[in-house]
Amino acid sequence: MKETTVILAKDNLQGLLRKLGRDKSLVAPVTNQWGDTLYTEITDIDGTELDLSKQPQASLKGFFFPQQEVIQTYDTTAGYEFTPQRHIQPTLFFGVRSCDLHAVLYMDMIFSSPERDDAYFARRQDTTIITLACTTPFANCFCNATGSGPFMEYGYDLQLTDLGDRFLVEAGRQQGEQILQAWGHFFEPATEEDVQLQYQLSLEAGGRFQRKVEVEHACRILASGEVDEQIWQQLSARCADCGGCAYVCPTCTCFNIRDAQQEPSKGERIRSWDACTFSGFTRMAGGHNPINSDHALQRRFLHKLKYDVEKHGKPSCVGCGRCVDICFGHVDITTFIEAVVED
Amino acid sequence: MYTPKSAVIKEIISENHLVKTFRLSMVDSQGQTIPFRFEAGQFVMLSVPHRGEAPISISSIPANPSFFDLTIRKAGLLTSAIQEMAVGDHLGVRGPFGHGFPLDDLLGKDLLLVAGGIGLAPLKGVMESCLSWKKVKKLTDISLTLCYGSRTPEDICFRATIEKWQQDGVSCRLTVDEADPSWQGEEGLVTGLLADQSSSGDGYALVCGPPVMIRATIARLQAFGWSDEHILTTLERHMKCGVGVCGHCHLDNTMVCTDGPVFTLSQLQEMKVAELG
Repeated sequence: MKETTVILAKDNLQGLLRKLGRDKSLVAPVTNQWGDTLYTEITDIDGTELDLSKQPQASLKGFFFPQQEVIQTYDTTAGYEFTPQRHIQPTLFFGVRSCDLHAVLYMDMIFSSPERDDAYFARRQDTTIITLACTTPFANCFCNATGSGPFMEYGYDLQLTDLGDRFLVEAGRQQGEQILQAWGHFFEPATEEDVQLQYQLSLEAGGRFQRKVEVEHACRILASGEVDEQIWQQLSARCADCGGCAYVCPTCTCFNIRDAQQEPSKGERIRSWDACTFSGFTRMAGGHNPINSDHALQRRFLHKLKYDVEKHGKPSCVGCGRCVDICFGHVDITTFIEAVVED
Repeated sequence: MYTPKSAVIKEIISENHLVKTFRLSMVDSQGQTIPFRFEAGQFVMLSVPHRGEAPISISSIPANPSFFDLTIRKAGLLTSAIQEMAVGDHLGVRGPFGHGFPLDDLLGKDLLLVAGGIGLAPLKGVMESCLSWKKVKKLTDISLTLCYGSRTPEDICFRATIEKWQQDGVSCRLTVDEADPSWQGEEGLVTGLLADQSSSGDGYALVCGPPVMIRATIARLQAFGWSDEHILTTLERHMKCGVGVCGHCHLDNTMVCTDGPVFTLSQLQEMKVAELG
């Protein structure tokens, strides 16, 4: 048994979050009045009911890499001066699913090269992430096939596993250890039975996936050969170029940068999400497009399942299944994987 | 990384009705010139007030860090806005970015530039570097050649530069797609100028222009015995960051901004690019 594994009684959760939320903003899954479950900033922990039973509909991407953010302001009054804008908000994320933390770890890598992306890391620094292992995967989940769940093996500050009336708590990174030390009175020692029960639950969770998506098999095929043109044609015909898959995807990080004039001599430089599935993604000034965009979704699928495997050793799809929900043409990444494997 | 630094327009040269060359110096907050070092073939991300940023190749010789030239054709909002700017105006610059031409390999070798329209801009610094090297080292037995195609005589850029090159012994061959009564030179595609441009073995051919021109030129050069390692080109792509993050210039597993924009033909053949059809 690891020294850093303890038990948190469910009755103690609210008290612990109240303490942790004193120094940091607190973000956790909440189902709102319209029935949407979202990672939500909580200002009143005692008046808010967390919802740990559903998968949040959006990932953590927007907290670190917002859909739109002002990265600089500029002023042309005397010369042409740019002033970087940085948003720093120490935040504790609670109830984060394994797929979403894996995606954050991927974004940390993407925004670290060739040098640290200041806008991203201003938001990312000083955050603590407490995950909740998925004992019951959701309908479209396939993180077992992408190596990103349902339980985390690394990368978390604390990982919680629901054992019924209590959580098993594992400390991963240093910040997690610090929480256990600073707020030791909320926790009690874990028994050998608790640890065995968690192991049992992780095995059961692995068997509960409703979908079998052969990600590794597809990656192997993509590494060694071309995809049949018929598959691209069939998928492209049903892609409406809406960008929904890329927006909802926790690891899609393509962006646009544009200026917005505010006053005659002042304005903002804005970074916003972009989607490589848009046919205009590669169009240049004057209208020339050097890239054939008939199969623009090719870029997205091959980036995740081929080029990132070549570059980083694993696909950058985390199996969260959100694109399955959002794609009304039913040409999400699982459709592609199935088509490649069946071909 | 994304914060532009200040540059001042020192001089504007009107190349033709659509193209101007802007000579810029980087300046500190007191307006003093600060050095800017780059390689021929690299590009900068240029900010124009209220119009955002665009990737622009550097068209001057990298010998003097006190200035650099950007040759810009009116094509979209940003490139139209800059045409209205004047000497003394400020621009924002990030970079230089990307890999330039491998000048160490090119100096002292036969050099053939094949350019279409404003495609001469990123190659120009290479010719000037090679020419200066040839003079300094008194190399009489290397040949420097320019084959340059424009749509009409009005569209020719860098007239003064080309005249000077001619005086310095560069073989400059110009052609236009559509001649007018003033034009005494060749008429037809730039590939028509390549008839006797066979490879000398260790010489290099640098190609830049519209994709269809690059494709036709490369096919000709290959037929004349140029090796894939000695044919170099530079790709033009939509870019937003210049540092390999935004995704716009992604080509298979390559980022044009950081892995290029200069590629050998062998490298291009590994990628599915419009320039090769």
